[in-house]
Amino acid sequence: MKVSVKEQFLISPYLAFFVVHSMQIGVGVLGFQRYVAIYTEQDSWITVLVGGAAVHIVIWMMYKMLNKEQGDILSIHETTFGKWIGGIFTFLFMIYLMAMGITVLRTFIEVLQVWMFPLLSTWTFTLVYLIAVYYIIAGGFRSVVGVCFLGVVVPFYLIFTFLAPLEFANLRNLLPVWDHSIKEIALSFKTMTLSYLGFELLLVYYPFFKNPETSQKWFHYGNLFTVFLYLYLMFITLVYYTPDHLKRTIWATLAMWKIIRFPFVERFEYIGIASWAVVILPNVCLAFWAASRMAKRLFNVTQKKALLLILVITLIVNPLFKERTEIDLLNSIVSQVGLYFIYGYIPLLFFIHYLMSKVRKKV
Amino acid sequence: MNWFKKESKKEDHSLFKVIQHFKKSGDFIDFHNPQSPVPYWISYFGSLIDAEILHRDILPFLNKSSIKKLDELKAALPIENVTVTSDLEVIQKLMLKGSLLIRFKEKDSQGVLVKAEMNKAREVTIPEEEFSVVGPKEAFVESLTTNLNLVRKRLPIPQLEIREFVIGTLSQTRVAVIYIAGIANEENINTALQRVGDIQFHQILDSSYIAQMISDNDNSPFPQLIDTERPDRAVGVLAEGSIVILVDGSPHALIGPTTLVKFFSALEDYFLNWQLASVLRIIRLFAVSFSILVTPIYVAVLNYHYELIPKDLMATLVSSRSFIPLPPFLEALVLELTIELLREAGARLPAKVGQTIGIVGGIVIGTASVEAGLTSNVLLIIVALAALASFTTPVYKMSNAIRLIRFPFLIFAELWGLVGIAIAFSFLMGHLLRLTSFGRPYLEPIYPPRLEDLKDAFVRLPFKMQPKRPIELQSPDTIKFSGKAAKQKKDIDE
Repeated sequence: MKVSVKEQFLISPYLAFFVVHSMQIGVGVLGFQRYVAIYTEQDSWITVLVGGAAVHIVIWMMYKMLNKEQGDILSIHETTFGKWIGGIFTFLFMIYLMAMGITVLRTFIEVLQVWMFPLLSTWTFTLVYLIAVYYIIAGGFRSVVGVCFLGVVVPFYLIFTFLAPLEFANLRNLLPVWDHSIKEIALSFKTMTLSYLGFELLLVYYPFFKNPETSQKWFHYGNLFTVFLYLYLMFITLVYYTPDHLKRTIWATLAMWKIIRFPFVERFEYIGIASWAVVILPNVCLAFWAASRMAKRLFNVTQKKALLLILVITLIVNPLFKERTEIDLLNSIVSQVGLYFIYGYIPLLFFIHYLMSKVRKKV
Repeated sequence: MNWFKKESKKEDHSLFKVIQHFKKSGDFIDFHNPQSPVPYWISYFGSLIDAEILHRDILPFLNKSSIKKLDELKAALPIENVTVTSDLEVIQKLMLKGSLLIRFKEKDSQGVLVKAEMNKAREVTIPEEEFSVVGPKEAFVESLTTNLNLVRKRLPIPQLEIREFVIGTLSQTRVAVIYIAGIANEENINTALQRVGDIQFHQILDSSYIAQMISDNDNSPFPQLIDTERPDRAVGVLAEGSIVILVDGSPHALIGPTTLVKFFSALEDYFLNWQLASVLRIIRLFAVSFSILVTPIYVAVLNYHYELIPKDLMATLVSSRSFIPLPPFLEALVLELTIELLREAGARLPAKVGQTIGIVGGIVIGTASVEAGLTSNVLLIIVALAALASFTTPVYKMSNAIRLIRFPFLIFAELWGLVGIAIAFSFLMGHLLRLTSFGRPYLEPIYPPRLEDLKDAFVRLPFKMQPKRPIELQSPDTIKFSGKAAKQKKDIDE
């Protein structure tokens, strides 16, 4: 079933690069290293590569399905499972998207509360942030993609700040190479995948590309750039921290910033965290945009109303997570769901969809 | 059917009645010459017509002529704009625009209208707001005719089209939409024509009225049309495919569609060589971001993140602030408002007094408030620099917008420090992303990213590297000039 979007709301295929990359880079970057290094220590960079490669395969599967369908996940579900069961799956996907936005925002607020303002009230910050989010999403997908683009370009300077810790690098930390079992790599692969999550939103915004088939190339490049960025960060982290130190550092990326010193600025992590408010903006906007878009397609309501409802729910739910453990739980639930979604559900859907479309063709 | 009779009776004498009505105005002249071969009445608004045309061309002719018919008079008069009509509306309209009415009998219902309007316009002078050291020194004036002349003589091509509208139920202002057919995008032209044509208002005093009525989002502090007083700038953008709107009575032309970065390019950038121009543009952009961000950063850092500052620099800050009773936010707000006050007072006062106020305000108040311990001298420097930096913007309305958006940033900085500044930035980003100018994205070439247009955005690359018109304007004729000759590569000693 083809989903057609009016010409003036379409975006150029090459912007897929920024959309996928900006969605993958989120709060996780600030501290993903530890979770991977717990299992694989100095070999963590291998995990980064393997994880990235696996994601490429999933992207390929999604494009296969979407190209055939020329629609979004809702139309795929409809062809595969029919209207009602498909609708239920789409609804679950919508809930997942919403949870994703909430998680990103709540985790970022936690970073703020840990590193900058211990007394920051969660709901006031959420409120102000969501007003910005609403304003951007109300501008349509084009302005959401604009935020994705600027959310990559504006904080790009931060990449160079990670060169500063190299002054204290110890390259021997990387040796010996490949000193871990496949099992350990597999375990860390699981946690690494969480950092790559976000590309599955393609299932929603695919019809918004001009000549969507041509966007696949850029989508892969975007993911490749994410792999590069994680690899870059992982290398620097591994040579900067000793393995034991890294296992005890929750926010490894943030802690690395502490080493930067200019004649006029110290404690660079403050600037980094503030810039991160711009980095996670695409995450939140895109997630809520996608959720409201799904609601619109599913329930035939206006997207504005759906969006408002989603934002109000966020505003209520967000302050309910108070403790570190609760936020951790939220994070692990959402990422577990995401993990099973991309490595379990999408391949499954891919095969069923393949079979069903064969069957329907024959009929 | 009494009313009908009355009406028809009125119809007979209505021209006479119109003139009787006009006579209530002191500047209306109804003049009768019974001595000439054919006696005639001539009536006009003394304040609207050019007495020289009347005395030199019309009166001598009438006093000698023996023509008795209006049509023959029309043919014989040595002036080109002559109409014979009995249509009251036309007569009224033309007389109010500066025509003379000639009749042979006092109660005639028909007359000859001779155009003799007075064109008292200011001389074309040097641009004052957009002054440039290098380049032409002509600026638009209030007269539309003169302004159109300034444009047309720079573009002597048949494709230059000027569409005129009359807008304003009371002011009857002439508005001209100018574009080059075949270069300007059809869609843009239609948008402009439709929006200008749709304006319903009683009075148009200046082109900024039009700007406010046709801009895409009138709730935005950002101007969505460039206004310029330089004919060379107007012509320059016409050649790229933009549309220029001129309004009678306004020395400012409006340019659209436009983008944010264009507001930071001065025309002088094109007159200087490209390296210098690029550096100047970068300085300007730096100045603008400095102007928006520096006071909020000061407030954020001193309120929340003093760890950011290395201890040597901190010592300077602390010693300058140690006796200040106000918190950084109030201190900054007071100083920012003082600067705005000075600027506003300087803008309202006559030029000579304004200068004095500037000195009194800047030096006396500044020094005194530092000495009295009300503000720190570091902040005084910062605020003064920020104000100075905001004036580097070549377009006045944009520099106003920049000064305005500083205040939300300041408030957010007080709320959440650097994170607050980032949030304010997110709002700004969202707003700019949503803005359009004549339906074209405002943030182009940043978003949507267009490398080709970046050649003339933050930097200005040499002319020969820009053989194409900006993509943003969607011109049907994309090639400015053929870049082949320029691209010839030469080997050493050849």
